[in-house]
Amino acid sequence: MNSELLIPLLTAAVISGTPILYATLGEIITEKAGVLNLGVEGVMMMGCFCAFITAQLTGQPWLAFLAAGLAGLCTASLHGLVCLVFQGNQVVSGLALTIFGTGLANYLGTPYIGLAAPGFSPLPIPGLAELPFLGPVFFNHDPLVYLSYLLPGCLWLVFRHSRFGLGLRAVGQSPAAVLAAGLNATAYRWGGILIGGFFMGLGGAYLSLAYTHLWTNNLSAGRGWIAVALVIFAFWRPGRAVFGAYLFGGIMALQLRLQAGGTTLPSSLLLMLPYALTVAVLLFSSWQRGTQAPAALGTNIEPSS
Amino acid sequence: MQGAVPFIQLDTLCKSFGRVRANHNISLDIHAGKILALLGENGAGKSTLMSLLAGQLQPDSGRILLNGRQVVLSSTEKAIQCGIGMVYQHFKLVEAMSVLENIVLGQSQGFWLKRSALKRQVAELARAYGIPLALNARVSTLSMGEKQQVEILKLLFRKSDLLIFDEPTSVLTPAEATNLFATMREMAAQGKAIVFISHKLEEVLRIADHIAILKQGEIIDQLSPAADLVPAELARRMVGRPVLLQVQREELEPRQTVLKVQGLGGNGLEQVDLELRQGELLSLVGVAGNGQKALVENICGLLPPRKGAVRILGQDWADFYAARQTETSLSYIPEDRQGLATCPGLDLLDNFLLTTRHAFSKGPWLDKNTAKDKLDKLLQDFAIRPQDSSTHAWQLSGGNLQKLVLAREFYRKPRLIVAEQPTQGLDIAAAEEVWRLLLQAREQAGILLVTGDLAEALALSDRIGVMFRGKLVAIMARHDQKSIARIPQMMAGLAPSEGESQKTYNQGVES
Repeated sequence: MNSELLIPLLTAAVISGTPILYATLGEIITEKAGVLNLGVEGVMMMGCFCAFITAQLTGQPWLAFLAAGLAGLCTASLHGLVCLVFQGNQVVSGLALTIFGTGLANYLGTPYIGLAAPGFSPLPIPGLAELPFLGPVFFNHDPLVYLSYLLPGCLWLVFRHSRFGLGLRAVGQSPAAVLAAGLNATAYRWGGILIGGFFMGLGGAYLSLAYTHLWTNNLSAGRGWIAVALVIFAFWRPGRAVFGAYLFGGIMALQLRLQAGGTTLPSSLLLMLPYALTVAVLLFSSWQRGTQAPAALGTNIEPSS
Repeated sequence: MQGAVPFIQLDTLCKSFGRVRANHNISLDIHAGKILALLGENGAGKSTLMSLLAGQLQPDSGRILLNGRQVVLSSTEKAIQCGIGMVYQHFKLVEAMSVLENIVLGQSQGFWLKRSALKRQVAELARAYGIPLALNARVSTLSMGEKQQVEILKLLFRKSDLLIFDEPTSVLTPAEATNLFATMREMAAQGKAIVFISHKLEEVLRIADHIAILKQGEIIDQLSPAADLVPAELARRMVGRPVLLQVQREELEPRQTVLKVQGLGGNGLEQVDLELRQGELLSLVGVAGNGQKALVENICGLLPPRKGAVRILGQDWADFYAARQTETSLSYIPEDRQGLATCPGLDLLDNFLLTTRHAFSKGPWLDKNTAKDKLDKLLQDFAIRPQDSSTHAWQLSGGNLQKLVLAREFYRKPRLIVAEQPTQGLDIAAAEEVWRLLLQAREQAGILLVTGDLAEALALSDRIGVMFRGKLVAIMARHDQKSIARIPQMMAGLAPSEGESQKTYNQGVES
């Protein structure tokens, strides 16, 4: 493949991978704290809608971006309420959150279908954007993409070198150890859920503010589920999540290009590609040994007698 | 220490759960620089008393005084602030993290972890108490003894003044236990107060400065170890009647071979050879995790043998299990009473039928009335409380549940019995009962007993085998005093039996 075809494809891969990256990082934070949140899709949709409506009303993209994060945080707090306060089942609660978030966002968004909102537009980085190959692929995007470049490193730093990160990882491995250390295990889990939800909301915001600039139903189109799978593919490491997200972004961009290029393959088969890859990625990850999920993932903290 | 204000004073503490008096009028002084042993059977109220001190439970009445001033230990955090630390029987460690991370969890200041500074502090502390630990090692790679040292360092790092140890030697090799005692002495010498909870009499006599005996929630006796205090006397005071630490056993003439294991390997095992005859009890001792589990699972049909041969009642493994003769001729009494042996949510009759159902089958139906009659008789014979077959299994105490499992398994008239840690967690009276039943069962069966308790093995066995790192290091007769004296070293891989290569010895030293 020559670079004339490759550069636009990779550029598109970065763009469509970015919302997945935000959501995957959010789910990594949540799962590191030992909470499985299958509601990523719903949280993203709420973030997506709140970003759109805020941008519509105020015309401020950055304010809209922040609003999406807060909307994600609020939506995810329902999961915290069910799992941490009422000791509910994390899987069921997550599934319900997906249905709730998607439904509510679509319902609230119905009057706005097809309307546009001000969003982010590409802002080439002077100097870097002129680099051959790397320039157009990585440094000719909107600010949200650049922000997403910084996040995995920051997350790694916080996980590995901060007190909060240590507590968060510990509560995902062994809540009993955290309790015995005199820390508030539930508070750390709340932290994981809320910060994770914030990031998922940001992923949703990217869809309506940078990816499309307009509102339609089901804008996230299963990206939340892909993020859940990518967490496993990434072995819960922020750095690896970047590769996974761009891989999926690449497949999504590729199938669009193939459709536009007029192949003989049925379009429904092409649309299926990302999800087929999800299954493949999960198979691949379970095949690789030695990398384990947080030991207490999905189990609630027993209330002490 | 007469006259000095104790570090902690318990003043008439009471705690009840419903109608059960877990602790009643407990008054106890805990002094700095002293090792206090808390001795009692299971259910005597030791755990409740500990939980009160650790801030997990609140007393119904009574006071706790810290350096003479009353404190309310309203939470775990509060107890930690007061300098009370606990080494739990089941360690509270994060396996996937490093030793250092476990120690500083919840202890450092500021947003960032200052790794190198923290590491220096912890290393200094470890040196001061003579605890050699690689601070960057992952906890999951450590031995049980090392994990316990991490727990101790955790407490020392947060400057605990009182360290409470809950059955600390139950997971250790004899050598590791000796190490632990040395560390405890060192900590006491540096002014820490130590509370040591145990039901092992010898240990208590060896290490304690002062002994308090708990029985049915009350402190019935307080004494200091003296030269004339022997384990049997201590046991008598603890249980309230003389206890025969030596069970009555008679020799039986071994008859035909019921189990033959030849060159068994794989699943962590290496060249295991053993033979067991009817009328014989063979114990396998060793620290948990040295291949006992794989061996038992191979014999009981849970894992197919990878290498070598297992022959049960003269039949090859595959043929034996293909013919489903396990229904009548092999009984497995697993360590996990509540998970593998019984279903906690089913009643006793259903639990009874789990392995005996073939005797009560009528086509596809179960003859529950006959089964109930049989079970009621067994409940009476084995003195299982409550004597009601509609009770759920989870409502039974550990001892009664174990007796139910034994009653059920012996009812099937097995020829081969594999019992794993059958008396673990039972009080002395219940354990004696289980021992008696096992010895009785030798008449009709060969028994393979896997145990971590050397005293139990010595009391019951005809022969004793020692397992270390997947190998059966040695098998010896109960009369072979010379070999038996070396068992503790063998369990730690330090003393090869004659003919063992020097290599094994070196591996043991390195680890």
